[in-house]
Amino acid sequence: MANLNVVSICGSLRKGSFNAMLQRMLPSLAPEGMTIKPAPSFAEFPHYNSDIQNSTGFPAPVNTLADAIRAADGVIFCTPEYNFSIPGALKNAIDWVSRLQNQPFAGKPVALQSASPGPVGGARVQYDLRKSMMFLDAFTLNKPEIFIGNCTSKFDEKTGELKDEATRGFIKQQLAAFAALIARVAPKS
Amino acid sequence: MVTDRQLDVLVICGSLRKGSYNAALARTLPALAPAGMKLRDAPSFASFPLYNFDIQDATGFPHEVDVWADAIRRADGLIIVSPEYNWSIPGGLKNAIDWVSRMKDQPFKDKPVALQSAAGGILGGSRMQYHLRQSLTSIDAHLFGRPEVIVTFAHQKFGDKTLELLDQTAIDMIKLQLAGFERYIRRVSAKE
Repeated sequence: MANLNVVSICGSLRKGSFNAMLQRMLPSLAPEGMTIKPAPSFAEFPHYNSDIQNSTGFPAPVNTLADAIRAADGVIFCTPEYNFSIPGALKNAIDWVSRLQNQPFAGKPVALQSASPGPVGGARVQYDLRKSMMFLDAFTLNKPEIFIGNCTSKFDEKTGELKDEATRGFIKQQLAAFAALIARVAPKS
Repeated sequence: MVTDRQLDVLVICGSLRKGSYNAALARTLPALAPAGMKLRDAPSFASFPLYNFDIQDATGFPHEVDVWADAIRRADGLIIVSPEYNWSIPGGLKNAIDWVSRMKDQPFKDKPVALQSAAGGILGGSRMQYHLRQSLTSIDAHLFGRPEVIVTFAHQKFGDKTLELLDQTAIDMIKLQLAGFERYIRRVSAKE
């Protein structure tokens, strides 16, 4: 089994985020040979403005995140849904890196996950994120989909552990499928 | 009564850059608006921090977020003029919406909203508009329908130096939309 280096990006900035808990759980649910590490943060990105790009260039944190994505075999998004769509800060990060030469999402395998206190579990954000990823020529894993609805009861808020066995099982399946996707779409040497 | 007086409509631009076609589009609006509608520009969202509940919880809503929310609340209607980034809503604009959506007295609730976009390509920013409709509907705004203002091939339609809108079809569509939006606001607004 090849060694796969995957980075995970959390769409929420708050400390108590369920999606951050989800992100932290992933290494323990990954198939053999896949390491999953958190990507560098987008918290210090300014609001996207091409005037910045054209005057002082891309901000350093943008390049740092882009480099991490480029170096990775795949990217997993763990994101909440804000107002039926992508959190603005996460979308802003995507907007910045999308403007780079050697755009980092091109040809990149991507998997999506979301946790939400509500029942729908973040489906809307994922379908919107799929569209952006499609434009950026990523290979987004179709299935299994991971929508963690009613997440408050599924995570232990104190330890951050994902208690729900069924969900853990689905995530394991998704990460295994992601490994297969990465292998299938890897550039043939 | 909102049915009689002149309407106060706030214009929000989704781009931050100086040479923006969407900012240029927003600048055309006052001259094309019906007499019953007065337009003003929204304060900027450029200095908003990235949304993080921990900020809200610790120190409350940032001052500039309050200012933006108040401007929206006071308006009879909103026109959002925005580019499309990566087939969707620019992150900066979405971030601003995310902030104010968390307020008690959430400013988009029952607010009439019209959308416009300009873009260099064939779809003119329409993918962004459909995502924005979805997002604003989730926070109870009233989205004006048609006519839509979707300015395609923007580099051909705005003057090179002044960024003045030169395309008569676009100008006519904007006038129609603004006139329709005025009627819409009066119809959906609560009776005063």
